[in-house]
Amino acid sequence: MGEVIVITSGKGGVGKTTTTANIGAGLSLLGKKVIIIDTDLGLRNLDVVMGLENLIVYNLVDVIEGKCRLKQALIRDKRYENLYLLPSAQTKDKSAVSPGQMKKLTSELKETYDYIILDCPAGIEQGFQNAIAGADRAIVVTTPEVSAIRDADRIVGLLGEARIPKTDLIINRIRMDMVKRGDMMSVDDVTEILSIPLIGAIPDDEQVVIGTNQGEPVISMESRAGEAYRNICRRITGEDIPVQDLESAGGLWSRLTHMFHKK
Amino acid sequence: MAKHSSVRIAKDRLRTLVGSDRMKCQPEICERISRELYQVLSKYVEITPEEFAVSFGRTDIHIRFTGEES
Repeated sequence: MGEVIVITSGKGGVGKTTTTANIGAGLSLLGKKVIIIDTDLGLRNLDVVMGLENLIVYNLVDVIEGKCRLKQALIRDKRYENLYLLPSAQTKDKSAVSPGQMKKLTSELKETYDYIILDCPAGIEQGFQNAIAGADRAIVVTTPEVSAIRDADRIVGLLGEARIPKTDLIINRIRMDMVKRGDMMSVDDVTEILSIPLIGAIPDDEQVVIGTNQGEPVISMESRAGEAYRNICRRITGEDIPVQDLESAGGLWSRLTHMFHKK
Repeated sequence: MAKHSSVRIAKDRLRTLVGSDRMKCQPEICERISRELYQVLSKYVEITPEEFAVSFGRTDIHIRFTGEES
């Protein structure tokens, strides 16, 4: 029986879609069967971040409206074994899908896939309610900024009201140089305010931009952000890995994986 | 940490914002609650503002009072 994980944040632009793409790719690299679903109706993005935008025939709304079978809408990512994308619709709006329909779809997918990862739209309206409807757990993404953390806190409250059993935190785009001089909140500062378990911290890394330019998840690139995402994926599967010290990242483990990739 | 740390300002602002969001009230209400709790406590014990803090959790309100240093 698979697990449905919703990636959400409240505020836009903090890295939900990038996180969805990397967690999806990362879990498939760990040998899991994974489907990533873009639930942002009208603003389709996940396919572009994944570099799969030219392969779309059908989309989430087509599946829900019964215009095609699920299999026809799924895009298999050839770079990753057992990774599938269900793209969003670019021309429909959020009212085209209901929470009940999403719940039905995800519960069907749980029979086939180990992980169903949902990329949630920004905001707290129907798109959000659709995305969390069938979720077994949530990952809240934030950056170390006042507005993003405030919105994340709202989301954590709403996830609690919706009785989502488990909610973890990812803090994205941390700049250690700014943290050191007291101009950026640290991982500890943010975790203390939001008071939910931390599942990972991603350093601000230009490789993420380069990866997005190319439509390639940073998780399969030699990079500090990629390493952070690899660790997050292992924690999702239940491995107990301490959150790495962002200052020392890029050390021994990174060199080891580098050797491993060269093989 | 630097003397004029912008992090301290950010954290203070966030505590107020998040507190009022969690209580579903205006930020100044949270401040008034804190002030009045302080006044109540000061009726019974000697207290300075440095020893006292109120934080608003999702399900509860924490009042921190640090008495004499041990």
